[in-house]
Amino acid sequence: MGELSTATPTETLDVLGRVCPYPLVLTKKAMEKLPSGAVIKVLCDAPASAEDSIPRYAEKQGFKFESVRHEGYWELYIQKK
Amino acid sequence: MATKKLSFIVKSLPYKTEASRLALTHAIASQTVEIYLEDGDMVEPVLAFMGDGVLNCLKDQTAMNLYGVTSLEQHIKNSLLLDLKVIICKEDVEKFGLSEDALIMDAEDIGGETKASIAPFSEIMKEMDSSDHLLFF
Repeated sequence: MGELSTATPTETLDVLGRVCPYPLVLTKKAMEKLPSGAVIKVLCDAPASAEDSIPRYAEKQGFKFESVRHEGYWELYIQKK
Repeated sequence: MATKKLSFIVKSLPYKTEASRLALTHAIASQTVEIYLEDGDMVEPVLAFMGDGVLNCLKDQTAMNLYGVTSLEQHIKNSLLLDLKVIICKEDVEKFGLSEDALIMDAEDIGGETKASIAPFSEIMKEMDSSDHLLFF
């Protein structure tokens, strides 16, 4: 467990059941509304989004990112710069 | 650093083909491509319904019951939820004898803040003129 995944998130976004590209675009939209330093927890069960597009988005934006894999879904933690 | 404007023009009837569904999914997906672009490069999508395409915007679609497929209504609402610019051609709305009440104008029920607009064809032409790429469906 990393630093972000043990912190209390500012917001939780549930995109379970949503397929690509919705998890990413909904995450982007939620991040735009958060203040700097806030942490969002994203619940996602779409592999392409959880393992590729959302981590790539976080990296491109310079946001801290952590992923915790569970059976059938991921918890993604992103901290806004 | 540049913004590329893409206009997705929907002229096809709903459900007769997959064309309008493709337009909606491509317009929505265009919001994700910036992760593959150079820093600062952006994509600005516009979704315009004209001709027979305005019928895609009718409320209370029951596609799952009739055709066993997901409703385009939900896709249009998702577009608004994701703040896409959605324009419906005023002249064609009038041609079909429709009113704003019959059309999907917002996505408030799923938390959307952006509203669709009914605008004259001249406004859609302006959007098309200022676009880098036009995609017809």
